[in-house]
Amino acid sequence: MLRSTLLVTTLLAVAAWPAAAQTGKVTVVTSFSKDVTDPLKRAFEKAVPGATLEVQNRNTNAGVKFLEETRSSNQVDLFWASAPDAFEVLKSKSLLAAYKPKARGVAEKVGSYPVNDRDGFYSGFAASGYGIMWNERYVRANRLPTPKDWQDLAKAPYFDHVSISQPSRSGTTHLTIETILQGEGWEKGWRTVKEISGNLRHVTDRSFAVPDAVNSGQVGFGVVIDFFAFSSQGAGFPVKFVYPTVTTLVPANVGIVANAPNRAGAEAFIEFLLSPAGQETLLEPTIRRLPVRPETYAKAPAEYPNPFKDQRLQSLLTFDALLSERRTAPVDVLFDQLITFQIDALKATTKALHEAEAALAKKDNAAARKLVSEARDLVAAMPITDAQAASPEIRAAFAGGREKTARQAELEQQWASFAKERYAQAKAKAEEALKLAR
Amino acid sequence: MTPTERPAAPVDVRIEGVELAYGTTRVLKGIDLEIRPGEFFAFLGPSGCGKTTLLRLIAGFAEADRGSVRIGGTDVSGRPPWKRDVGLVFQSYALWPHLTVAANVAFGLEERRVPRPEIERRVQAALELVGLAHLAGRRPSQLSGGQQQRVAVARTIVVEPKVLLLDEPLSNLDAKMRVSVRRELHALQRRLGLTTIFVTHDQEEANSICDRIAVMEAGSIRQVGTPMELYERPANLFVAGFLGAANILDGTVASGAFTLAGGARIPLAAGAVPPPGAKLMFRPQHASLAADAPIAGTIVHREFLGATVRYALRVGESDVVVDVPFQSGGDLHDVGAHVGIALPPERALYLAD
Amino acid sequence: MSARWRTGSPGQLLLAAALASFLFLFLILPVATVVYVAFTEKGTGAFTLVNFADFARTDLFVRSFWNSLYVSAMTVVIASAFALPLAYLTTRFEFRGAVLVQTLGFLPLVMPPFVGAVAMQLLFGRNGSLNLVLDDLFGFKIGIMEGLNGVILLQAIHYFPFILVNLSTSLRSIDRSMEEAGQNLGAHGLRLFRRIALPLAMPGYIAGASLVFVKVFDDLATPLLLNVKEMLAPQAYLRITSIGLADPMGYVISVVLIAVSVLTMWLAARSMKGRDYATAQRGGGGLAKRTLGPREAAIAYAIVILILLIVLAPHVGLLMLSFATVWSFSPLPDGYTLAHYTRVLGESSIYIKNTLLYATLAGLIDVVVGGIIAYLVLRTRVPGRQVLDWAATAALAVPGVVVGIGYLRTFYDVKLPDGSSLASAWIVIVLAVAIRRLPYALRSAYAALQQISIALEEAAENLGATKTRTVRRIVIPLMTGGLLAGFVTSFATASVELSAVLMLVQTNADAPLAYGLYVFMQTPAGRGAGAALGVIAVLIVAIGTWLSQRAVDRSQRAHGLDL
Repeated sequence: MLRSTLLVTTLLAVAAWPAAAQTGKVTVVTSFSKDVTDPLKRAFEKAVPGATLEVQNRNTNAGVKFLEETRSSNQVDLFWASAPDAFEVLKSKSLLAAYKPKARGVAEKVGSYPVNDRDGFYSGFAASGYGIMWNERYVRANRLPTPKDWQDLAKAPYFDHVSISQPSRSGTTHLTIETILQGEGWEKGWRTVKEISGNLRHVTDRSFAVPDAVNSGQVGFGVVIDFFAFSSQGAGFPVKFVYPTVTTLVPANVGIVANAPNRAGAEAFIEFLLSPAGQETLLEPTIRRLPVRPETYAKAPAEYPNPFKDQRLQSLLTFDALLSERRTAPVDVLFDQLITFQIDALKATTKALHEAEAALAKKDNAAARKLVSEARDLVAAMPITDAQAASPEIRAAFAGGREKTARQAELEQQWASFAKERYAQAKAKAEEALKLAR
Repeated sequence: MTPTERPAAPVDVRIEGVELAYGTTRVLKGIDLEIRPGEFFAFLGPSGCGKTTLLRLIAGFAEADRGSVRIGGTDVSGRPPWKRDVGLVFQSYALWPHLTVAANVAFGLEERRVPRPEIERRVQAALELVGLAHLAGRRPSQLSGGQQQRVAVARTIVVEPKVLLLDEPLSNLDAKMRVSVRRELHALQRRLGLTTIFVTHDQEEANSICDRIAVMEAGSIRQVGTPMELYERPANLFVAGFLGAANILDGTVASGAFTLAGGARIPLAAGAVPPPGAKLMFRPQHASLAADAPIAGTIVHREFLGATVRYALRVGESDVVVDVPFQSGGDLHDVGAHVGIALPPERALYLAD
Repeated sequence: MSARWRTGSPGQLLLAAALASFLFLFLILPVATVVYVAFTEKGTGAFTLVNFADFARTDLFVRSFWNSLYVSAMTVVIASAFALPLAYLTTRFEFRGAVLVQTLGFLPLVMPPFVGAVAMQLLFGRNGSLNLVLDDLFGFKIGIMEGLNGVILLQAIHYFPFILVNLSTSLRSIDRSMEEAGQNLGAHGLRLFRRIALPLAMPGYIAGASLVFVKVFDDLATPLLLNVKEMLAPQAYLRITSIGLADPMGYVISVVLIAVSVLTMWLAARSMKGRDYATAQRGGGGLAKRTLGPREAAIAYAIVILILLIVLAPHVGLLMLSFATVWSFSPLPDGYTLAHYTRVLGESSIYIKNTLLYATLAGLIDVVVGGIIAYLVLRTRVPGRQVLDWAATAALAVPGVVVGIGYLRTFYDVKLPDGSSLASAWIVIVLAVAIRRLPYALRSAYAALQQISIALEEAAENLGATKTRTVRRIVIPLMTGGLLAGFVTSFATASVELSAVLMLVQTNADAPLAYGLYVFMQTPAGRGAGAALGVIAVLIVAIGTWLSQRAVDRSQRAHGLDL
């Protein structure tokens, strides 16, 4: 198979286009689904005769792991995924090769997010926005309001109706959490995250499990990336999607793997993705990513979000990728230890708080209100500060390798018991408040 | 109460018109039998004659197509095995390997909801009866064949069945064991006074311990009688040949005599009426050899057996065996000699198949 | 008796050495390269047990450990509740459709990844068909798919065939006189079954139940699909596959998983030592089958149909999903279509072809290796034969992802003559799958060999046949049934293996069906197509099973074995 492809490529190279000699089989590891990769593969192979795109579908984490494990004789040309963090990890492990795309006319920023890696190890080729997706039948049957903002999801009616994936398992969810943390600050950001999390039905370990659960009606609402909702709509599911007023634009990236066996082919693919033809392919209903070429939007269907014009999609903070990369592991582990693996305790506390607040809304009581506020503070409390999270000591605990530091398991246990204790205290306070308010 | 203390009144077993077919194969072709109370009865026949099937039918493991089985006057046909009160000792013994010897024996009593202390007492007694009380805690796999057999018997009699059925109980034992175990079985049966049916293909076993025997062949009963009756007065050639050694010679009946194929005439005894197609049958010890005797034969083999000398002869197309008492100093016939066989008319039986 | 006889002939030693190398190369070495981290100190790399102390000190892990034990034990209970009536009714009575029941009862073992759980959620989930109807009619819902309960139910459905198959085989091999003796002494019906047949079939039951326990203890996919993470296997998986984390706990958990599984199998073997009754009395024709009365038959069929409805629910759901246009928050799909099948058959025939090839090869490898190990353990005195057995059995407990990573680490640098890596050759997928399914074939081979009286072999040797010829002419023909049963189990479960495969698939052209399923199930539009692919997987296995079953019957009739 490999040999015959090479043969064909060689013949083509002699006969026709000079670039064909440099293409041949291009191997890409990607987290993107078939719906995304198939049209792009077709378009690429059409645009660059003689090239074949070999797609290896792995989720982001498994893809990174795979490149790590196989670095000694790498067979992969490109890594192609959403989460910039995954690229940062690859970059830090010297698994990427720098490449500066030649294409002209690509925006520097989408929203306020820089399209390309400042060191040139990976390039953004599209963007997607995070938002809230819901199942209309579910919402109707349970008589629930439709949310407009992240904070809405923290409200009482949404209790037990929301789904999210673990940031440690989903690069895009990680980015959402990180954006909230950067936007609202460490303490306040975590407070928001935990308030929403108190209403969770469950935390999934795969990004796609969230839209899947919403599609089948197992949960009502999901925190998802826009294209999941759009392609679900495309498949006929009764789902709706909204960008919250404060949303994140997540770039989708591509980078050349260090020691790529087909470097020329890899470059050809990146150039194709950024070319007008490649960018237009992104508008296809099964893909629905936001192009990084402003002019491509002219060809987009009506109501297609345009981050270069739409005010809502522009008013974003400047995302600090370096900060994000530095505390990736601590943020993920904090989320898991304080939320994912404490979900029952957190939910019980949140439920008690909702009940106390409902009672207070009917009949105010200063003492009870104070208890509720204390309880909320207890829930929001964090075992470490942002400075600690980015500190070398904590990072080293997760980095493995050379130094003898605190072990990850030790930190996890500390953080978990920190949360468990406070959730229990908070629940007691909320229950007391409920008694007072009645 | 133990089996030894007070034997229950023995019951009879009546089998009436029993027929059974598996598909087109007729396994039992109309069986009528009466087994008397307290009798030690045998079903004797070659393998495949239906004797085990008949036994299983009494136990309730097979159901007759026609006919009935009565035990102590009660028709048990259609009753499941567990409601028949018939004890069966399996050929393989069928001891449960997951239970100890004592638990095996206790099983039937437990099924009868006998109180625990009584179970223990009766199990103990039953094991003592078969001389295995010291092995109560063992598992069957740790016992010898003879011991397993005795456990199987103890397990069966401990529930005091009305009838005891033994399916080839000696076939898995070595020759020496067989003799001693069959004596034990016999003694035990006498002591318990239990109506017992014994299935075997070995005529010596049946003869040695049974009161009466039903000889079976191909799904039918050929004759019922005491061992002596069967030996002395077999009803047909099959029974004659199955019990003891028999010489059988072809011939025709004409004018008060039986004429052999070779021409020799044997006068019929007074009152003898040979059935149609009858052949001459006599036992080896009932004939003698003499130069002028009517049946001419050639000696092909000679065996010295101690008390007797056994001659194998060729008579026309047939083989004949004659046992002659050995007398010290007497003359012996040599192999190859032409001699005559003398047969008293009253010792000649004329039997059909 | 020479010393040679006692330690095995040179041929046997060679065979044992070859197998030992095979297991070392494709199981122990790859796994060791992954799990040794569990025993190293952070920073220095020195040997330490501190990571296991961390395991015991971490609430999450301790909680997960107990949850896993609880779920495994409860699964055995529920799975027994499914398996016992089916085994009892089909082996003990003249039961019309017994073969169909046994065949359908095998199917749940073939639950394609992802789609089985999705189908169950659609039927029995919080907003599944059942609960939507209940809520509509009576205003309440039942949480059978919630949390650990959902895991227990789905696992019991998935793995109960292990108990059914083993128990039925044991029941069938009980000598008929064993039960008749009980009837003769006054026992009958269920009581007789409980007191005689069941204890005698215990070895089969224990074999099945221990397999269920271990599989559930080590399974990560089902809990994760139901969003249950606080169990050991999911914890190991989540930690091993999370990026940027280099902590050893995932491997520590893997070691715990392996240890618990080996311990379970050991305890099961020990508890059954010297109690292999069913094989002691061969050729008794099996249990006598009784005809059911009309009322009994009605009850029996009701029970069988109810159980089959429950255990085949995922497959029914799967079938519906594969024909559904949209199925969302409604008792039934909105409409039906054949489009998913058209799509799958158009795009995925390569997956089907690869699956057939891989699963067949893996099954063959398992039967050969399993058969040889069984022979070495039961019939020779080769030193270390027991180690082979335990090593092969331990494969049961190694999480697929550990095997996958281990293979990548071990074989990636091994170059093939054409310069490509051994790890990228598709045969490596076959080997990984074969190793993972080896324990199934091994157990079948054991059972088959144990049922062959050693006297049959001695007779052949007595008549001048060498050991090798005896094996070829007596042992293998007589074992055919058992070996084929092992092949079927290995083949069937290998064809839906995902975890190791996902790590090892290098090109789409080499990918098996499970990978295709994974790819489909990552997109909203792929759900129906994934289900269609799942249905095809089940069909492939069903046909494969049926063909093998027919082959078994034929070969047994040819050898005059009436099993």
